[in-house]
Amino acid sequence: MNLFLQILLIVASLLLILLVLLHRGRGGGLSSLFGGGMQSSLSGSSVVEKNLDRITLFVSAVWIISIIGIGLLTKLGG
Amino acid sequence: MLGAFRSALATPDLRRKILFTLGIMALYRLGSHVPSPGVNFANVQQCVSQQDQSGGIYGLISLFSGGALLQLSVFSLGILPYITASIIIQLLTVVIPRFEQLKKEGQSGQNKLTQYTRYLTVALAILQSTGIVALAVRGQLFQGCAVQPIPNQDVFTLAVIVITMTAGTAMIMWFGELITERGIGNGMSILMFTSIAARIPTEGQNILSNSGGLVFAVICVLGLLIIGFVIFLEQAQRRIPVQYAKRMIGRRMYGGTSTYLPLKVNQAGVIPVIFASSLLYLPQLIISLTQGSAVDGSWQQFVQTYIVDPSSYGHIALYFALIIFFTYFYVAITFNPDERADEMRKFGGFIPGIRPGRPTAEYLSFVLNRITLPGSLYLGLIAVLPSFFLSITGPGGQNNNFPFGGTAVLIMVGVGLDTIKQIESQLMQRNYEGFLR
Repeated sequence: MNLFLQILLIVASLLLILLVLLHRGRGGGLSSLFGGGMQSSLSGSSVVEKNLDRITLFVSAVWIISIIGIGLLTKLGG
Repeated sequence: MLGAFRSALATPDLRRKILFTLGIMALYRLGSHVPSPGVNFANVQQCVSQQDQSGGIYGLISLFSGGALLQLSVFSLGILPYITASIIIQLLTVVIPRFEQLKKEGQSGQNKLTQYTRYLTVALAILQSTGIVALAVRGQLFQGCAVQPIPNQDVFTLAVIVITMTAGTAMIMWFGELITERGIGNGMSILMFTSIAARIPTEGQNILSNSGGLVFAVICVLGLLIIGFVIFLEQAQRRIPVQYAKRMIGRRMYGGTSTYLPLKVNQAGVIPVIFASSLLYLPQLIISLTQGSAVDGSWQQFVQTYIVDPSSYGHIALYFALIIFFTYFYVAITFNPDERADEMRKFGGFIPGIRPGRPTAEYLSFVLNRITLPGSLYLGLIAVLPSFFLSITGPGGQNNNFPFGGTAVLIMVGVGLDTIKQIESQLMQRNYEGFLR
């Protein structure tokens, strides 16, 4: 069970990293940090972005559940 | 003031944004307390209570992660990898011609740079999480702690921890971008603000229980004074008058207005402080890597006493000098007088009494150089303030990143002002009285 959760966690982590990197980066860079100019993101999110958001949310839910699961197993087992 | 709060919450659009931001902040704090899989929570707690909360090698990282680092939680790296990656990319735009070209390209080039920053963030996150796990396993993260924070030390478990922490960093990055996109303010700085602000109650309690009520009250008053001072200087600007000539375009009349070019006293924000403290963190890292050979009279001993120890005068002087250097450096990167003068000339603007073109550029850089000097001195002073407290209270002081002085206050005030300004501009669109007058 523990091994299964760990493998699930690894898969979810890798997917999560991949999905986050797939997002269109916004508001990055130091230029806008700390009192830089205001940038307005007028471009609305496209359908692709919306679906990506949903998938990312789903994967992060799996990620969190497996972390909590492993935590519970360690606590109950040890 | 309170009325402004009410009207901010009464606007449905703005209310949604503010609540969204608050929700993400709550999630971020929650994640900072979830222990990584394979980490024994009870053991870690025991070790943390033995250690100084903020001292040690990882003062800076632990400041930026809101104390999550020492708990080895899933978000233990915080946004530091993102910050480091941004700094590196920002510096590389000066060095690598391709990056400079991208930066000048405008929005699309900027997007590409952001994408590079994100890749670099993940790479750095892998590096740093590996480093932290290695330190924890070798018992260097918690020196002199009897119990093991990670009981099961086979490679597979450790790999799971590293991957989880990296994914956590990626998730924080996503959080930041979500805030920037749908919430209020710049996500990265808001998250940084959250983790710094989260430490204040703990630190305050430490001071209260260690030094008693009187010292606590004095420190609170001092902290408020420093915050007021920082706000005053962050808002300070020199306004250079600019006169625009009247122009006819078609049948319309344009220009003819007189406006001003604001030059902030502290044009560089808190970036110099972050750069300087990241650089000063290097000798500490080297020392901790070569530890074991620290005999009396060795170079490690020398570095330890004169550079690493935050209460030594060598450290204070070096930090101060680095901040002044980086202030000038960063202002030189971000504000180009030649470009500004060119722009002004293109739109028919001039500074009264100064010819457009090269003389204007020279005048601008002259004023900028002059005004950056007090700005850099102020940044340096605020940043080394806690170190001075340490050297007054004697060596062995523990509160390296004293929350009411130094980097923490600069970041908090900077981010706070920025966010308030954004809320205010949103309010202005609906004609409400804002927070700042």
